[in-house]
Amino acid sequence: MGQDIFEITINGIKLIVIFLLMVQAVPILVWVERRGSAFIQNRLGPNRVGPLGLMQLLADAVKFLNKEDFLPRKAVRALFYTAPVYALIPGVIAYCAIPLGTPLQIEAFEMAGKMWGPYTFAMQGFDIGVGIVFILGISSLAAYTILMAGWGSGNKFSLMGALRASAQIISYELALGLSIVGVIMLYGTFNLTDMVLAQQGPMSFSFMGNQVVIPWLPNWGLFYQPLGFILFFAATFAESNRLPFDLAEGEAELVAGFHTEYGGFKMLMFFIGEYAHMMIAAGLVTTFFFGGYLVPGFTPAEIREFVAQNLASTPNGISAITSVIHLLAYFVKFALFLWFFIHVRWTLPRFRYDQLMDLGWKTMLPWALFNTILTAVVIYVAYNFA
Amino acid sequence: MTADAFIFWFLSLVAVTSGLSVVMMANPIYSALSLAMTMVSLAALFATLGAYFIAGVQVIVYAGAVMVLFVIVLMLFDLREETKAFTRGQVSGALKIAMIGFLAGLIVMVMAQGVKFLAAPDVVDAAKLPEDSSKALGLVLFNRHIFGFEALGVLLLVVAVGTVALARSKGGTHAKH
Repeated sequence: MGQDIFEITINGIKLIVIFLLMVQAVPILVWVERRGSAFIQNRLGPNRVGPLGLMQLLADAVKFLNKEDFLPRKAVRALFYTAPVYALIPGVIAYCAIPLGTPLQIEAFEMAGKMWGPYTFAMQGFDIGVGIVFILGISSLAAYTILMAGWGSGNKFSLMGALRASAQIISYELALGLSIVGVIMLYGTFNLTDMVLAQQGPMSFSFMGNQVVIPWLPNWGLFYQPLGFILFFAATFAESNRLPFDLAEGEAELVAGFHTEYGGFKMLMFFIGEYAHMMIAAGLVTTFFFGGYLVPGFTPAEIREFVAQNLASTPNGISAITSVIHLLAYFVKFALFLWFFIHVRWTLPRFRYDQLMDLGWKTMLPWALFNTILTAVVIYVAYNFA
Repeated sequence: MTADAFIFWFLSLVAVTSGLSVVMMANPIYSALSLAMTMVSLAALFATLGAYFIAGVQVIVYAGAVMVLFVIVLMLFDLREETKAFTRGQVSGALKIAMIGFLAGLIVMVMAQGVKFLAAPDVVDAAKLPEDSSKALGLVLFNRHIFGFEALGVLLLVVAVGTVALARSKGGTHAKH
């Protein structure tokens, strides 16, 4: 984790900060979801407590913490209580691997009579070489949470919901994994930071020996993998159990699905887990297809140059302001996709279960396979026929 | 004890404990969940060796897909009957004890022989492995071991076709009309 105690401490704090960021983003997203849904449906939504109804979140949190903690008679104690905790873990660990900005470089400095540094801190929880594989692996463990909750509740509706949810997650994981294969082939790496850096500058690629440059388009993965983008984005909706794929909850048929027996803070933890998966999905879409933390039209080197001339003079300041600019660019794209998730939830109706399975296995999986083969052929032709 | 050694012993403890509980648990669901736990701790052990790709694939394939399917199928069974059939019977009890003895003998033999295997000259030096070992792995897999890879693919296809054929011939929801 680092070469000395300072670096290890900062890297540890970084993990905690990312966790807190994710957890703190949930109340805001809930507010956006409630107000947004209200405006979509021509209502006002919660607007009584505090300015714009923002204090409603605090009231809700207090309510959740004060609710009675009960165990259903037929529940399995160990599974019932551990499931909500497990709901948080995969989402948070996976999100830590997504790069949020250019690395922060700190010059050597003196503190407590000792020389420290120089340091380079990546703007992410940890930089892992096989980023995609890691994130897919960790977030695929979320199926156990749902199964544990469904079995541990000792309730038929919960079990039905859990079975539906996990069957759905497994089915869509195939389409999800295959739709990224094109992206991996395009960038030639598993590492998310390398993928982001491959998308900088205006669109340029070599095709059959000619260098093509399109100055008015950014070099984003979206323009190389449009089909991959559609498939990936649709599959992430299913993975995070959001409408139109929220058959696990299906309140008309299953009360509330796998969390029927949960109340108070335990239910809130499932809620946070679902939002964490939404955030991973938004972060991954941004990273794969929309240039990650890059500012469209500018490379990180150009931004650094601009900051050095206009905003800061010390190397530490230049690096910090550059990182913050990229962080903001990342969060703008990230927020747009989160809004898209919310908008879709209040726009589309729910699928029927057989339609869901048909879409996953008979439509998205073949198209993802086709995208993989097409990408392979195009890359081969582009590089080998000059 | 260094941090590496601590992590290794901790993960080994988790792997062995959950592996034991796979066979000791009376309820098959808990066995399956323990098996998933074993898979995850094995993946973490791979990661401590620097084999991140194998660790990730281990989690995706075994813990994330295969074991989830097992758990789903187990949840659909009438487990009370299954549990009775699972624990009753002298023959299976004797078989279990014999199996434990066999396994213990195997472990002792491997531990006695293991030192010799490890001392073999073509042991890979972990420090010499490239930073991104997934590329090296891909090159080895698709160049030197391509026949085995493809043969395994065909074998899995045969298994899939056989399963479908069996499911359709023996009645049930997918029977031929």
